[in-house]
Amino acid sequence: MAASNRWPMFALLLWRSLTVRAGRVGVALAALAVGAAVVSALLCLYLDIKVKMAEELRAYGANFVVGAPVGGSERGVDQSALQRAIAAVPGARLVGASPVLYGVARLDQGNAVIAGVDFPGLRRVSPFWQVSGGWIGVSFDERNAMIGRKLAETMEIRLGDTLNVLGEATGERARLTVKGIVDTGDAEDEQMFVALPLAQRLLGLPGRADFALLSVSVEGAEADQLAASIETAAPGIDARPIRKISESDGVILDKIDGLMAVVAAFILVMTTLCVNATLTAMVAERAPEIGLEKALGAGHRAIVAQFVGETVAIGIAGTLIGLCLGYGLAQILGQAVFGGWVGFRAAVIPVTLAASLVTALAAAVVPVRRAVRIAPARVLRGE
Amino acid sequence: MNAAVSAIQALPEPEHPVIALKGLSRSFGAVEALREVSFSIRPGEFVAIMGPSGSGKTTLLNILSCLDRPTGGEYLLDGIATAGMDEAEQARIRREKIGLVFQQFHLIPYLTALENLMLAQHYHSIADAGAARAALERVGLGHRADHRPSQLSGGEQQRVCIARALINEPALILADEPTGNLDEENERVIMELFRALHREGRTIVLVTHNPAFGSVAERTIRLAHGRLEGRA
Repeated sequence: MAASNRWPMFALLLWRSLTVRAGRVGVALAALAVGAAVVSALLCLYLDIKVKMAEELRAYGANFVVGAPVGGSERGVDQSALQRAIAAVPGARLVGASPVLYGVARLDQGNAVIAGVDFPGLRRVSPFWQVSGGWIGVSFDERNAMIGRKLAETMEIRLGDTLNVLGEATGERARLTVKGIVDTGDAEDEQMFVALPLAQRLLGLPGRADFALLSVSVEGAEADQLAASIETAAPGIDARPIRKISESDGVILDKIDGLMAVVAAFILVMTTLCVNATLTAMVAERAPEIGLEKALGAGHRAIVAQFVGETVAIGIAGTLIGLCLGYGLAQILGQAVFGGWVGFRAAVIPVTLAASLVTALAAAVVPVRRAVRIAPARVLRGE
Repeated sequence: MNAAVSAIQALPEPEHPVIALKGLSRSFGAVEALREVSFSIRPGEFVAIMGPSGSGKTTLLNILSCLDRPTGGEYLLDGIATAGMDEAEQARIRREKIGLVFQQFHLIPYLTALENLMLAQHYHSIADAGAARAALERVGLGHRADHRPSQLSGGEQQRVCIARALINEPALILADEPTGNLDEENERVIMELFRALHREGRTIVLVTHNPAFGSVAERTIRLAHGRLEGRA
C-alpha cells in the first residue's frame, strides 16, 4: 500500500522502521515489558499491601484490650460495660471481640486456670490458633470445653475425654467434654476455655469479666483516636491499643515499601541498560539510512523526532504488555505472600506508563545523540 | 534623466551563477585536499568534474552539496554564502536547493520506489504521492512505483535516485559517479536521462571517471592534487 497524505510519512517511517527490525525491536520491547510488569506488579501490591498487611496482622491476635482502669478496687468490669465499649467500634473495623474472665477451678487431675470466653468472638480474634478437634461454635455451649496443649499433656487429657470441673469457692460443678485442644505457643497452652456464663457461675462472678480482647482494623494514630472514642462511649472503661502489634504494622510496611522501591529501581536500571544497548546497535545498523536522511535535508530535530517516536512507540507497546504480565505477577505474589487476590488499581496504568517512558527515553539519550552526530558524507561513502 | 534611470531599472538583472567558488580550500589536519579552487557554474550548465583518485573530487562534491564546510574561501550557492553555515542551515540548503544522485543509489530498503521519493518530499515540505508518481513516470518507472529497491535492477534503482533528486525542483543536481555501478546498457540510459535533464535547462554537476560523461557535459573541470587544472 502506497503512502498518501492521509497516511503521514512520519507514521509510515515509524511503522516500517520498527517492523523491518522486528528482532532488535523485540528485544527492547521484551526488556520494557519485563520492567513494566515488575513495576506494575509491585505497584499493585504496594497499593493493596496496607489492606492485606492489616488483615495479615489482625490474624496474629488481638490489637486492642478494653477493661477496668489499672488500679481499680473491684475485680473485673461489668459485662454490659464491655459490650458498650465493643459496640463503640465501627462495625466495618471490628474483626472480632471476646470478653475474658480468668479464674482457678478444680479438675479431677488437679487445679487449672480456666478462661471464660465468647467462643465465636475469640475465634475471630485468634484465627492463628492451631486447634486439634474443633472450635466450639456457640457462646452458650456449657457442655464442651477447649483445653491448652500443655495442660492436656500434663493432665493426660485427650480429645473427647469428659472432665468434672468444680468451682472451689462456689461449689458449682460442671461436666464438660473436650472438643478441642489448643496450641498457641503462648500462655493459652496451659489454660482451659469454657463458655463465659459457665465461668462466671464457677467463679461466683455473675455478669463480670476481666477485660475484652478486640481485633480491630486500624493503623497508627487511628488506634489512639479509636481508644478515645471507646472510652467516651463506655465511661469507666479503659481502652488500650496493643502497641507491640500496631507499631510493627508501620515498621513492616515501611520496610516492604522500601524493598519494593529498591527492586523496582533495580529492574528499571537493568531495563534502561538493555534498551540502551539495543538502541545503540540499531543506530549503528542504521547509520547509512540516517546519513541518507540527513543528506536529503533532514535536520537534527527530524532525526531526534524519528528516534523518540520509535522509542515512545516501543515504550507504549512494552507498557501494555507489561501491565497484563504485571497483573498476573501481582496475583501470583498476592497468593504466595498474602494468600489472596490483589485488586487492580487504575493508578497503576499512568504510573507504569510514565516509568516505562522515562526508562525508554533515558535509554535513548546516548543512541539519539550518536544518530544526530552521524556525518552523512562519511557514512554514504561506506566509512 | 528620469528616462535614463527608467531605462537602467528596466535592464534585466545579470543572472547570478548557481555555483560560485572563490579561493576555496579544505584541509584535514596537515593534508590540503583542496587548494584555492575558484570557478563558477551558470544556471542550466552541465559540468563534469574529473580527475584521478585523490585529486579532491569527493571533497569538492561534499562541499558543493553542503555535506562539508570549506576551511578557507567562499562558496555561494544560488547567491547564498554557505561557508559559515551551521548544520541546521546546511540541512535547509540541501533540502531546498540540491538534488543528490549517488553512485550507490542509497535508497531506503524498506520503502517502495514511490515512498523513497515521498521521503525527500517529506523532509522538503509535504509528501505528495501524485507528484512522486509523476516523477517516477518521468524516468520511465511509473510501473515500478510500488516495488522495493531489492526488487529493482541497478539501473532502475539509479533512475529512482535521479527521480528523487528531481522531486523537489532543486536549483542544482549533484551526481557522484552515477554510472559507476551500472552495466553499459544502463549507463547509456542514465547518460541519456542526464542529457534530457540538461535540455530541460537543469543545472547539473557530476563527478565522474567516465570519459563518455566528459564528452556529454558542456564543460569539464579537471582537478589534480586539490587544484584546478587549466582554466575552469
